[in-house]
Amino acid sequence: MMAASATPTTLQRTPAKPFYFNTSAHLLRITKYKANSLSELLDALRECPEDSVFQHTFRTLQEHHFIREGFSNDFAHWALAQCNEPGLAEALASVDVREFTSVSTLRERIIQILENYLKSVPNMGTHPADETFYFCASDIVVLPTSFEGRTMGEFTEGLRRVSVHSIHHHFIEARLRLKLMSNDFSQWLHEDVGLTEAARKLNRIDIYTSTLEDVRQQIIRIVERALT
Amino acid sequence: MESMKQELESSTTLSEDPAGQIAHSRSERRAKPRTWEIPPAPAPAPHLDDYKSIVGEPVVEELRFLARGLAKKTLKMVNSTAVGGGVAEMLNRLVPLLAELDVTTHWDVITGGNDFFEVTKAFHNALHGAPYELTREAQEIFLTYNEQNRQRMQFNEDIVVIHDPQPAAMIGARKDTSAQWVWRCHIDLSNPHPQVWGFLRPFIEQYNAAIFSSQTFARQLPIPQYLFYPCIDPLSEKNKKLDDSFVQKVCDEFGIDRSRPIVTQVSRFDRLKDPVGVVQAFKLARKYADCQLVLAGGGASDDPEGAIVLKEVKEAVGNDPDVIILDLPPWCALEINALQSASTIVVQKSLREGFGLTVTEALWKGKPTIGGAVGGIPNQIIHKLTGMLVHSIEGCAYQIRYLLTHPEFATQLGRNGREHVKENFLMTTNVRRWLLLLQILLRGGKA
Repeated sequence: MMAASATPTTLQRTPAKPFYFNTSAHLLRITKYKANSLSELLDALRECPEDSVFQHTFRTLQEHHFIREGFSNDFAHWALAQCNEPGLAEALASVDVREFTSVSTLRERIIQILENYLKSVPNMGTHPADETFYFCASDIVVLPTSFEGRTMGEFTEGLRRVSVHSIHHHFIEARLRLKLMSNDFSQWLHEDVGLTEAARKLNRIDIYTSTLEDVRQQIIRIVERALT
Repeated sequence: MESMKQELESSTTLSEDPAGQIAHSRSERRAKPRTWEIPPAPAPAPHLDDYKSIVGEPVVEELRFLARGLAKKTLKMVNSTAVGGGVAEMLNRLVPLLAELDVTTHWDVITGGNDFFEVTKAFHNALHGAPYELTREAQEIFLTYNEQNRQRMQFNEDIVVIHDPQPAAMIGARKDTSAQWVWRCHIDLSNPHPQVWGFLRPFIEQYNAAIFSSQTFARQLPIPQYLFYPCIDPLSEKNKKLDDSFVQKVCDEFGIDRSRPIVTQVSRFDRLKDPVGVVQAFKLARKYADCQLVLAGGGASDDPEGAIVLKEVKEAVGNDPDVIILDLPPWCALEINALQSASTIVVQKSLREGFGLTVTEALWKGKPTIGGAVGGIPNQIIHKLTGMLVHSIEGCAYQIRYLLTHPEFATQLGRNGREHVKENFLMTTNVRRWLLLLQILLRGGKA
């Protein structure tokens, strides 16, 4: 995926192109889909818009970016908190959004986990949940910020100062836009700066055991180490 | 802060012992707590830049970027009251902030006679599920006043937002204009009176979009429905950071010992807030963990049912010196803030709830919070992550004990809770949602 780099050889690298920091703002829409049992969740997952799957996986990570452990996606949380199904919750929580470059394949994976679980314990499908799962969806508006990285100094300064929404936009949501198992920062570091190893290291940051603020700090550390 | 304290000292008067019990030495100090008899002058509304120190400069900058696409667009808000109530309070903060972002916002308030507001009050209760007989006369009163207000108002704005059911029938004014009309519903429609909802629904379906405060409050409608959580203003007297000396002063006046754990519930004396259940939970918990209980609320002086509930609470308390009952007037925002700030744990053990802004306030102050799993509380309290949800008196008692004996976990809950509010339930987030909605509607519903 990472082809030959265009690469400066000195440590004081000048990017071939600036990095423009953007951010995204989301508005929650309430859809007509809801579930009162695991079977209903499965039915709704098959029919709901992709925006809903995005909301309850990618977006919920951003909404709960401050939680270091115990939160992965809304389906897993509901399976545990409202259906008392820890095994299913663990399986759903193990779905890493970064392994998907499209919402449709992510949806298929979640459906597959639910189908497999309900095959193993079929009587749980209609067991009523304590509380209803309401499917919401995200309407997204992408915005510029005043930060851009024309130099590596400006890039790291931008990383420090943009909102965590911008970090989420470039580091997590980006794969749906790029259709690559990567992120905007890694792509730019590889293609326009030549820091290919740093680009690879960024993709190994664990977003599920870190807050987004921790993720930001790890990105900065990796980039700064690569420059020294 | 010093001037605030001086103002408090000079403006307060002595009131009766709210708990009505002076049976022991420690409660002597709380025999005559001082509360304001008249509302203080409202604090000036903050500016957008004032929020930078709280949410960070990039978040405020995002609002400015979002607003750029809305230059020269105009917005009208219509509701039923200019003062009092959560909607007016929210609009009083929102409208100036939108104006600062160059989104010209006009705010109109409908007028009506007593007959109109009696009908709309009955509609309000019926939409919450209360029994009601919808008469033809009530429908005519509702429609007549809506028509009068429609004729009185101008609708030249790009977007018109109608708040709650009272002015809902004014949607008729949209014809022959290209404006987008939005119905902002602040009440819980999960179990509405079928006749009243059946009467209102045809009006609601004519809007371009509807907004609800929780996904659980919404109805199935053929128009897009958006989720706008209620919010708190971190710069308001209820929520701003207080000087610890002021917090100490308030605790001293009310006889609260800050050297011992303090468990607090702030809410009206209303059975749906289950204050008696809180007293019972406290008594169960205290067998294992030393603590005091503060029940701070209002409504007992101007609401006959509130007075009855307060009497029931006092009976449940008996002569317990560790329970402090405070019947405060609604304008004691600073005192409520101080009580929440002094608390070790905040409880909101409601049996039924709207959104539960007292939970939001407690979370914002970083307090480990225990809430009944009803209404909008589960939107705020993610069990074991941002607080603890309970379903019973015994569950509440257990969580009080657990949090008092696991302070590190309690601290982490409080930290997460504050971040949850910062991300989702602050005034700045509310401004962002409005700006996003305006952008989306003006693009024809496409994000």
